[in-house]
Amino acid sequence: MWIQRWAAGIILLSLAIQLRASEPAAEKIQYFEKHVRPLLLQRCASCHGNEKQEGKLRLDSPEFLLSGGESGDLYLSGQPDSSLLIAAVKRVDASLTMPPEPEKPLSPAEVETLAKWVRDGATLPISSGESVPVDPKRIEEGKNHWAFQTSVRSIVPSDTHDKWSANSIDRFVWTKLKSHGLTPRSEAEKSIWLRRVTLDMVGLPPTVAEIESFLQDNSQDAKSKVVERLLGSPHYGVRWGRHWLDIARYADSNGLDENIAHGNAWRYRDYVVDSWNSDKPYNQFVLEQIAGDLLADQSEPAGPNAERRQREYLIATGFLALGPKVLAEVDKQKMEMDIIDEQLDTIGKSFLGLTLGCARCHDHKFDPISTEDYYGLAGILKSTKTMESYKTIAKWHENSLANETELQRQKDHQQSVDSGKKEIERVRSAAIEELKKSLKLGEELPKDPEPKLPDAIREDLKNKRDQLAKLEASAPELPSAMGVTEGIVADIPVHIRGSHLALGRIVPRGVPAVFVSTQTPRMSKQMSGRESFARWLVEPNNPLTARVIVNRLWRWHFGLGLVASTDNFGLLGDKPSHPELLDWLAVELIENDWSIKHIQRLILLSQTYGQSSQFDSLSAEKDPRNQYLWRYSIRRMEAEVFRDSILAVGGVLDMAKGQSLLHVKNREFLFNHTSIDKTKYDSHLRSIFVPVIRNHLYDVFYLFDYSDAANVNGNRDSTTIAPQALFMLNSGLVHEAAGGLARGLLSGPLVNDGARVDELWRRLYAHPPVSEDREAALTFLKQNAAVDELQRWTWLCQSALASNDFAFVR
Amino acid sequence: MSVGCNCQSELVGLRPTRRDWLKNSAIGFGYLAATALLAEKTSGARQAYSNPLSPREPHFAARAKRVVFVFMKGGPSQVDTFDYKPNLQRDDGKECPFEKPRVQFAPTGKLLKSPWKFSQYGETGSYVSELFPNVAKHVDDLCFIHSLHGSNAAHGGALLKMHTGSDNFVRPSLGAWVSYGLGTENDNLPGFVTICPTLAHGGVNNWSSAFLPAVYQGVPLGNASTPSDQARIRYIANEAGTPAAVQRKQLDLLQQFNRRHLEEGALDAALEGRIASFELAFRMQSEMPQVEDLSQETAATRRAYGLDEKVTENFGRQCLLARRFLERGVRFVQVTHSDANVQWDQHSNLREGHTKNALEVDQPIAALLEDLKQRGLLEDTLVIWTGEFGRTPTAQGKDGRDHNPDGFTVWFAGGGTKPGLHYGSTDEYGFYAAENKVHVHDFHATVLALMGLNHEKLTFRHAGRDFRLTDVHGRIVSEVFA
Repeated sequence: MWIQRWAAGIILLSLAIQLRASEPAAEKIQYFEKHVRPLLLQRCASCHGNEKQEGKLRLDSPEFLLSGGESGDLYLSGQPDSSLLIAAVKRVDASLTMPPEPEKPLSPAEVETLAKWVRDGATLPISSGESVPVDPKRIEEGKNHWAFQTSVRSIVPSDTHDKWSANSIDRFVWTKLKSHGLTPRSEAEKSIWLRRVTLDMVGLPPTVAEIESFLQDNSQDAKSKVVERLLGSPHYGVRWGRHWLDIARYADSNGLDENIAHGNAWRYRDYVVDSWNSDKPYNQFVLEQIAGDLLADQSEPAGPNAERRQREYLIATGFLALGPKVLAEVDKQKMEMDIIDEQLDTIGKSFLGLTLGCARCHDHKFDPISTEDYYGLAGILKSTKTMESYKTIAKWHENSLANETELQRQKDHQQSVDSGKKEIERVRSAAIEELKKSLKLGEELPKDPEPKLPDAIREDLKNKRDQLAKLEASAPELPSAMGVTEGIVADIPVHIRGSHLALGRIVPRGVPAVFVSTQTPRMSKQMSGRESFARWLVEPNNPLTARVIVNRLWRWHFGLGLVASTDNFGLLGDKPSHPELLDWLAVELIENDWSIKHIQRLILLSQTYGQSSQFDSLSAEKDPRNQYLWRYSIRRMEAEVFRDSILAVGGVLDMAKGQSLLHVKNREFLFNHTSIDKTKYDSHLRSIFVPVIRNHLYDVFYLFDYSDAANVNGNRDSTTIAPQALFMLNSGLVHEAAGGLARGLLSGPLVNDGARVDELWRRLYAHPPVSEDREAALTFLKQNAAVDELQRWTWLCQSALASNDFAFVR
Repeated sequence: MSVGCNCQSELVGLRPTRRDWLKNSAIGFGYLAATALLAEKTSGARQAYSNPLSPREPHFAARAKRVVFVFMKGGPSQVDTFDYKPNLQRDDGKECPFEKPRVQFAPTGKLLKSPWKFSQYGETGSYVSELFPNVAKHVDDLCFIHSLHGSNAAHGGALLKMHTGSDNFVRPSLGAWVSYGLGTENDNLPGFVTICPTLAHGGVNNWSSAFLPAVYQGVPLGNASTPSDQARIRYIANEAGTPAAVQRKQLDLLQQFNRRHLEEGALDAALEGRIASFELAFRMQSEMPQVEDLSQETAATRRAYGLDEKVTENFGRQCLLARRFLERGVRFVQVTHSDANVQWDQHSNLREGHTKNALEVDQPIAALLEDLKQRGLLEDTLVIWTGEFGRTPTAQGKDGRDHNPDGFTVWFAGGGTKPGLHYGSTDEYGFYAAENKVHVHDFHATVLALMGLNHEKLTFRHAGRDFRLTDVHGRIVSEVFA
C-alpha cells in the first residue's frame, strides 16, 4: 500500500527537481552536505551503499537519492509526511522501519534533520561530475542479442524442390517450410500475379493492355520483363518513395500544438521519390539524410550536375527536420531536448530498429542502451542546428537552395525596388518644394501636403506607387528547404530522469557501447559528428542498418517482416522467422552496392512471391500468421493505393507530378484556433502529392490506416471499420469514379452488357467474372432497367468497386 | 435482409494481428458460421472474425458504465467558478506573496479578485460563483477535485495531456482506452463519439486511437467550426443521392460478389470482417438520423436544454445529443465547448468572455444533469467537467488571466463518485494545487477505476512494449468514490 502510493510521486518529484534547480540555493546544498550526507553515510550506507544495496537502494551518493529504490521514490520534495524515507525512519508503519534493528532507531533530532531537508525542497548537489552508473553486465549480455551480431553471408540451403531451387530466397523459404511440415501453394494464376506485382510496385492496377500483353507472352522471361518494366516506371518511386515517407514521418504541417505549414517539405518528398527511382545506393541515401549538408561541398566538378547534387544533399537533411514539434512550448530548453529526442527516436527506429528514446530518462529497460549512450548521441544533435529560433512560435531552420542566378535576380529586384522608392521620394519632395514656394505669407505647410499637390503630380505619384507595390509583390522567392546545419559543438551532460534541470556527468559524443563490431566514430571539437555518425551507420560491419532495410522491403512486399516488429530489433522485438535468409539478404544488399532494386528483383521473381494465396486449413493450423510463407498473404490495399486505384479505374487519375498542394504559404497556420481547415482534397493527382496535414489528416487517408506522420511507421495497420464502408457507399469520390468507369464502358466499342461486364471485371480485378457473378451483375442491370443506362451502370460499377476482390490484393 | 446475415456478433472492425483472434477462433464466427457456408473448411485454425467492440467485462466491479466528458476548451478559471478564495477577494491588487511558476505562458502581475460573487448552495453549502447559477442547483450531486494539476502551460500540450496523458507523443485518448477496455453496448453505433471537437491544439490526436486498433478511435460529429445542428459523421449521408432501396440492392449485389470471392478459397478473417462492416455501416446510417432527430424530444426537454434560446442552443444541442448517445449504449461521449477564439481563453476581458461562455453552457449542463438523473442514468453515467487547465489568480494585463496548469478544478457527477465532496484544495489564492494534489495522470487512473478498469493492467503492446494511459504514473483517488 505504501509502495503503491509512491508511483504517483514520480511526476511530483520531477516538478520538485525543477523548482530546486530554479534557485541554486547554496545554503541548502550546504545543509545537505553538512547534515544529511554524513547522517546517511553513518546510519544507512552499510546496507545501502557501494557494498550492499538492500532493496536496490543506495544512499551513499546524491544521484542515487534521486533514483530511489525497489519500493519507489525516496521522498516527495517538500512533503516529509508523504515521503517514504521519513516514514521509514519515523517508523510509522510496522512494515517499513529503518534502520531495521529496533534497538537502533534514529533520534528525534536525526529524524528532524532528514524531514527538514525534505521539507525545504530536498536540494541535492548534482552536476558534480560524478558518474551515473551503467550496468556493464547488461551491456555484455546485450552484445549476445542476435541483432547486434554482424551479419555474415549465410550458406544457401542445398535442399531443393522443383522450381524452388533457382532463387536463393526460395531455397531458404522452402527449407524452413519443410522443417515445419508445410508445403507451399502452387504458382498463382498469371493474371493474379500481374495484379499483385503491379499494385505492389507502382500502386496501380494493371491496365487491360498490360494484362493482354502479359497473358499472351509465353516466353521464359515474361515475368522478368514485367518486373523490369515496373522497376523502370517513374511511378515506382511514387509508390516506394511513399513507403519511405512512412519511415520519415513525412508531413506538410507541424501538428502537435501550433499547426503551421511545412511549405517546403515537398522538396524532401520529391527527393525521396527521385532517390528510389534512380536506385540510389541505400548507404548513400542514409548518409545524405543525416549529413547531406556536410557532403555538399565535396567532390563533383562544378557545373549544373554538381549544383543539382548540392541541392539534393541539402534537401535530404529534411529527414531530421520534419518531425512534429511543440512550437509554443514555453520552456525553451525542454523544447530543444524534446526535438532532439524526437530526432533520436526517429533515427533509432528508422535506420537501426532501436527504440533509443527510452534511454532519455533511464537506462533502457530492455535493450543494452544506457542513458550515457543516449546523451552521447544527443550531443551530436545538440551540436546540430535544427531550429532557427525557439521563441514562440518557434521557427525551424531552412537551408537556402538559391544559386548564383537566383541570388543575382533577387539582388536586381531589390535594386529596382530601392530605385523605385527613391524616384517616388524625388518627385514628391520636388513637388513639395514647389508647393512651399507658392505658400502665402503666414501660411503653413499642412501636415500631409500631398492633397495640395497639383493633380498631375498626384496622379503620377499614385501610378508610381502602384507600380512599386506590384514590383514588391513580385519579389522572387528564394528556394529553401527544411533541413539542418552545424550548430555550436558541445558534449552534453546526462539529464537525470530526462530533466534538463538536473544534470549529471558530461558524456562525450559517440555511439552506443553495445556496437562492438564497428569502428567507433571519431568526434572532433569542430564538427557536430553527424557525418562520422552517418558513415558509421552505413559501415558494412554495422549489424543493423542493412538488416533493417531488407526487412522493411520484405514487409512491404509480403505484409509481414522476417522480423515482424520492423521498427524494433531490440530484445523486445520479434525474433526473425528466417534468420539465415535475413542475413543473406543483408549481405547481398551490401555486396551489390546497396542496390534496393537488386533485392526487389530477387524477391519479385521468387516462387515464394509468385505462389497462390489459396487457403489451406492444414497449413493454417500450423502457421496461422503465415510467417513461414506457405501461401501469399492476402492484403487490403493501403490507403493511397486504394484511392489511386479507384481514381485510375474511374479514368480520372491525374498522373502528373505535383509540387505543393498546400493552400497556405510556408510557416503559415493551416488553421489555428478556428477548426476550419481549408486544405483542399479535390486534386486527382496521385496520393503522394496530397498534403499530409498533421492533426487533421485527409479523411480518406485517416479511414484507411495511412501513417499518422507522428512516428516512424514501417508496419502500417490494416483495419476494417464501418466508416470505411460508409465511404464506399456514400462518398462523392467513389460515385465519381463509378460514373467515370460506367461512362468509359458505355462509350467504348462494346455493344452488349455481357461483354461490358467482362470488361469491367478485367479492369477492376484483372480476371473475367465467373458465370455466377456475371449473371448477378446482368440481373441487377435488368432490375434497374427503368432508370437510364448510365445510372444503372454507375450503380453496378460502385458495387463492383466496393467489393473485396477490388480492395484486396491476393 | 436479403443477404441472409443473421449474425450473432455484429461487427465494426478487426485487426488481423490481434492476439485475441487466435484465442477466440472457436467463437464469434459471425457471418460465416451463421450462413453455414464453407462449414467444413472453417474448422481449421483459420483466424476467425470476432467483434473487437463486443462488451467486455471490466477488471473489477465498475461504478460507471459510460462516460460523458464535458470539455471546456481554453481553460476556464477555477477562481471565478468553483474554487472560492476569500483571500483573493481581500488581497486584490496586492503582490502575489509566493513565487510564480518557473515556466509561465506569459508574465502576470498582481492578484486579481474575481469579478463575480460567490454564494453557498445546497445542503453542502458549496460555493459557486454567479457564473453557474443553474449548475449550482445540482451542487450536492457534484464531486469536486480542486487540486488537479498538469504539466503543460500551453493549450496544445495541455489538451493532449488531458486527453491522452502525453504532451509530446501521439498516444491513444482516454475515450479510446475506455472503448478498448470495455467495448460498447450498441452494435449499430461507434463506442466513442465526440461532438464538435476542436481541430486545433492536437486536433484529431485528442480523440485518436493512436496505436490501438482504429475501431476504438473517437468518431467525430462535425468539429468546433460546425454548428451542432449540422454536425454529422463523415459519409453518413449519400453524396450522390442514391435512394436507400437502390443502395440496399447495391449492397446485396456486392455481398454476393464478396461471398463468392471468399468461397473461392481466399478465406481470410479480414475479408469476412469487411463483409460484416458493410452491414454495420448500413445499419449505422439508418440509426444515426434517429439519434440526431431531436424533434423526438418533448418541447419541455428541448426548452430545458436551452434549444429555444440563441445563446444556449448550440451547446444545448450537443448536450442533448450526448444524452441520446448515452442512452443508446455508446460507451464514451465527449462534448466540447469551443469556438474560433479558444472560447475560455481570457487573457484579457475576463468578465466579458467568461460571462458569455458561462451563459452558453450553464443551462445545458444543468439540464443534462437533471435529465440523466430523471432517467435513472446518472448513477452509472460518469459526468466529467473540466478544461485543459485553469487560470492564474494574478492578472494578465489589467483584466485577464493567464494559463494555469498548476492548480485547477474538475468536477464529476454520478458514476459512483461521492456527491457533494470537495477533494483537495489549492493555496489561499487558488494558484497551486496544495492539499491532496491530483495530477492529470491520477485523474486518468481514477476515471478508469470508476469504469472498473485497472490503469496498470489496461495495456496494449506496441513497438515492443506495453503502453498504458498513465504511462508509469497514476494514483487512484479512491477518496472520491461513493
